[in-house]
Amino acid sequence: MINAVFEKQIPAPELDLSNLRRSIQEEYTAVAETPQQGFHFHTGRPLAHMLGYRDKWLEGIPEASIESFAGTGNPFSLGKLKPGERVVDVGSGAGIDSLIAAKMVGPAGHVVGVDMTPAMLAKARRAARETGLDNVEFREGYGEALPALNGWADVVISNGVLNLMPDKSAALQEMARVLKPTGRLQIGDILVQKAVPASAKRKIDLWTG
Amino acid sequence: MAVTLAGFVDFEITWRADVFSGAPQSSSADSFGTLGINFRARKPRNEAEWGAALAALNCAVPAQLRYPVSG
Repeated sequence: MINAVFEKQIPAPELDLSNLRRSIQEEYTAVAETPQQGFHFHTGRPLAHMLGYRDKWLEGIPEASIESFAGTGNPFSLGKLKPGERVVDVGSGAGIDSLIAAKMVGPAGHVVGVDMTPAMLAKARRAARETGLDNVEFREGYGEALPALNGWADVVISNGVLNLMPDKSAALQEMARVLKPTGRLQIGDILVQKAVPASAKRKIDLWTG
Repeated sequence: MAVTLAGFVDFEITWRADVFSGAPQSSSADSFGTLGINFRARKPRNEAEWGAALAALNCAVPAQLRYPVSG
């Protein structure tokens, strides 16, 4: 059943990666700055409920983080985050999952959210200040080159981001690198049930829409 | 297989659902039968555990890959 999302790890040779990244940044800058405009994917609190996010998880999370939520799954349904654990959130967006994780791991734990979109990082950092949580930080970076040390994390989470990375193998290897031995990967993402032709993989607007 | 090759074991998809229908704008999601999923995996304890997982896939460790550095 798993097909194109995982089978083909390298981008189409003609795909302009810098253009792709720029297009994705533009899309998610809009999700950060004008979340009410409506996108080709669900966003915000209705999406969180659709994906099974519990009301108690969202308590104390700033509305700014919730309104720009654009995940595709529920990393927290895959395993409990324990007090004291270290978590890396790949593609942290406006911070909702990182902030939920920070509450779960408590003051003895630490969360590093990583995102490549400046508008999302700014929104996440403002939200973190608003919560007063001091066990969470947001770093600018790419999933294919995570700004985190080898073996630092107990858990890597990510939600609706891996599908946006042209080199998924590199991103998964980075997730493995930053995890401790026996560390857990808990991911929300997408799969496609029909083969994606090479010609479609070259169309940047199909990556974002 | 790709998740195992990247350095993980115990890969499992635990949930899948249509998370795109009804979005404010139309998308290409329906054209490809796109579903939202949750999946999990675990970093192996050591290279031997990873090797066993690769062997179970009838897949030899590619020469250019090695156990993800943790030190």
